[in-house]
Amino acid sequence: TQTIQNYKEANSWHQRHDPLAPKRGAVAPDFELRDVNGENPVRLSSFNDKKPVALIFGSVT
Amino acid sequence: MSLRHLYDKFNGQVQFLVIYIREAHPTDGWNMGSEFKISDPKTFQERRKVAGMCEAGLQYGIRTYVDEMDDAVMSAYAAWPERLYLVDQNGRIAYAGGIGPFGFAPMELNQAINIQLKGEPIGT
Repeated sequence: TQTIQNYKEANSWHQRHDPLAPKRGAVAPDFELRDVNGENPVRLSSFNDKKPVALIFGSVT
Repeated sequence: MSLRHLYDKFNGQVQFLVIYIREAHPTDGWNMGSEFKISDPKTFQERRKVAGMCEAGLQYGIRTYVDEMDDAVMSAYAAWPERLYLVDQNGRIAYAGGIGPFGFAPMELNQAINIQLKGEPIGT
């Protein structure tokens, strides 16, 4: 039952967010992020001035 | 094809960034018996600590950044639990990968990078 509930919640999350996710050709959403030391805040847009940027989203589990 | 392979192949031509987001299967959430026993970080300090473990564990040398606790970046990119994107030098999306784990396709990113490095326009 818990697994089914988890699937439902995940599907619900994606139904809300996927339609708003950037598609090919769209301007990439820009954010300020901190590194793993909690320091050196940088904007994502600062990385793509010289070469393309591959964004790898994920977690440990 | 692994991300490590992609990094080794294109490092220098492409800037690789890992963005650590909300845990997919923490012990206190949707626990699927991951080999890594991690509870979902409740503060930014906890989150960056786990992200640091992730960065050290990957041993790619890829810079890792941490989404804030409001999950703003993860939400904007609909990136949970994992997802790949390629952004071109004009700040536009050159490749938007599918939702992981089933849509997580490094081979597609490889193709997108090859196209991008050839300078083909992505259109609007």
